[in-house]
Amino acid sequence: MDAVRALQIENLHKTYVDAYSGDEVVAIGDVSFDVAEGEFVSVLGPSGCGKTTVLNIVAGFVEQTSGSVTVAGKPVSGPGPDRGVVFQNHALFPWKTVQGNVTFGLRMRGVAKAEREATAAEYLRLVGLTGFEQRYPHELSGGMQQRLGVARVLANEPAVMLMDEPFASIDAQTRRRLQEDLTRIFQEQRPTVFFVTHDVDEAVFLSDRVVVLSGRPSSVHEIVTVDLPRPRDWRTTGELPQFRALRNRITDLLAGDESHAVADPA
Amino acid sequence: MTGLARRLGRSGAVRTLGPFVPVVALWWLLAQLQVFPPAFFVGPDAVLAELGGLLERGILPGYLSDSLTRLWYGVLFGLGIGLPLGFLVGMSPVARRLTWPLLLFFQAVADIAWLPIVIVWFGFSLTAVTFVIVYTIVFPLVLSIVAGIEQVPPELVRAARSMGAGRIQVFTEVIVPGSLPSVASGVRTGLGYGWRALVAAEIIVGTSGIGFMMFDARRVGDVAEVFLGMIVLGILWYALDALLLAPFEHATVERWGLVRQSAAT
Ligand SMILES: Nc1ncnc2c1ncn2[C@@H]1O[C@H](COP(=O)(O)OP(=O)(O)OP(=O)(O)O)[C@@H](O)[C@H]1O
Ligand SMILES: [Mg+2]
Repeated sequence: MDAVRALQIENLHKTYVDAYSGDEVVAIGDVSFDVAEGEFVSVLGPSGCGKTTVLNIVAGFVEQTSGSVTVAGKPVSGPGPDRGVVFQNHALFPWKTVQGNVTFGLRMRGVAKAEREATAAEYLRLVGLTGFEQRYPHELSGGMQQRLGVARVLANEPAVMLMDEPFASIDAQTRRRLQEDLTRIFQEQRPTVFFVTHDVDEAVFLSDRVVVLSGRPSSVHEIVTVDLPRPRDWRTTGELPQFRALRNRITDLLAGDESHAVADPA
Repeated sequence: MTGLARRLGRSGAVRTLGPFVPVVALWWLLAQLQVFPPAFFVGPDAVLAELGGLLERGILPGYLSDSLTRLWYGVLFGLGIGLPLGFLVGMSPVARRLTWPLLLFFQAVADIAWLPIVIVWFGFSLTAVTFVIVYTIVFPLVLSIVAGIEQVPPELVRAARSMGAGRIQVFTEVIVPGSLPSVASGVRTGLGYGWRALVAAEIIVGTSGIGFMMFDARRVGDVAEVFLGMIVLGILWYALDALLLAPFEHATVERWGLVRQSAAT
């Protein structure tokens, strides 16, 4: 592949030390993979295998024990606007309106008001929140809040958009709608996305590639390429035999890892 | 509910004064039936007459403005010291470690307990009363600001930083509004304490003011004036709350859905 590497993770390792007892927990064993520009990559793995930790290191919220993370060629240190984060619980600013939330990043970076407003209008339209500019987050449904979470990050045009189980706290019906919206937005904008999830169907539906992690101490078990045609929607994509084959394959990979873990409690 | 009752329930005056009607009626009844000797307990009519007399002689307006001036200075300096100190202690671990034991110690020394030494230092002056009010306002305010800062969800700070906010922007855009519910309740508590401290200080320092008026009336056995003083205190606090604190909270923390909207809005 000649594509530019938007995100490069090399030999990432993280050991947490419990401040109280001094116990050590290996959250990430040895993880390496990269994400090309304009690529959608999901990370799947058993619960507690360190998915959130990888994302938090990339975001700059947590420091790795060893290994390196580079975004657009630059090593990561601390949080920055080149890596936008969509949180599971939205993390919207309750004291700002929808408009105030979407324009936050642009305002922080000193973009002029007229330009901020034009950009905000564009991204609110993209996520279907036009007309809600003056509402406060608590006046929106969970699904709308997460659309706003996505718009807020995209408006900032980060090199990578990081998403940690963004739809996990949303009901099944709405979740499917949001997944379709996200894949449409991806189709239109081609952002680079690093997506963490528990949901195999979701990972296959959205991604170009799926990184399957093994149980702790985690490493990359396998990287599965998803070459389903785009644009995608649940009615057609979900019925494709390739979709089912990929989903079964990944489910087997995850299950195999669990039975392995039970058989060999090391 | 009938249409009329609903319309009355929505009117501000009825909602504000309504709950006082039975209280005043009971008060009037007790006085009328002379359950207690009139030298100890007077009715609303006597208090109203007293109000008329004190207004006519200009005593009440004078004392009232004395009390409010003291409160104003106390609140001004109290907030002026308490707000920056609270945010400093809440934001800086170093400042926190250095001041926390002191804060707990001085909070425990009751405000009124300072009066004897304050009178020695400043005499029976505005400074003495102001000192006590400032003292009472600052400590609850600092403690609730620190608690408020701790309550700001760390995810919001992370979100702001990953959208390019620097340290100062995180403070002004996230920490300050995020801690506002707690800051507002700290201001409310602080002012409430300050108001009580003012009255207590006036009773002890005693040269003028509502507290002095009440204590002086007691000396000459004028129960109606004592009652009047108590009513004036209640009304003033209610006005302060209704005109300043409640509208502020309504426009901020309630609007943002950070606290349950009060039933009265
Ligand atoms: N701050 C921390 N201090 C100590 N240990 C931690 C900390 N955060 C995570 N861990 C541990 O690191 C391991 C990986 O956690 P992480 O949250 O990254 O897993 P995950 O794959 O995201 O799990 P899930 O799928 O349940 O969200 C877990 O065993 C967890 O207990
Ligand atoms: Mg997780």
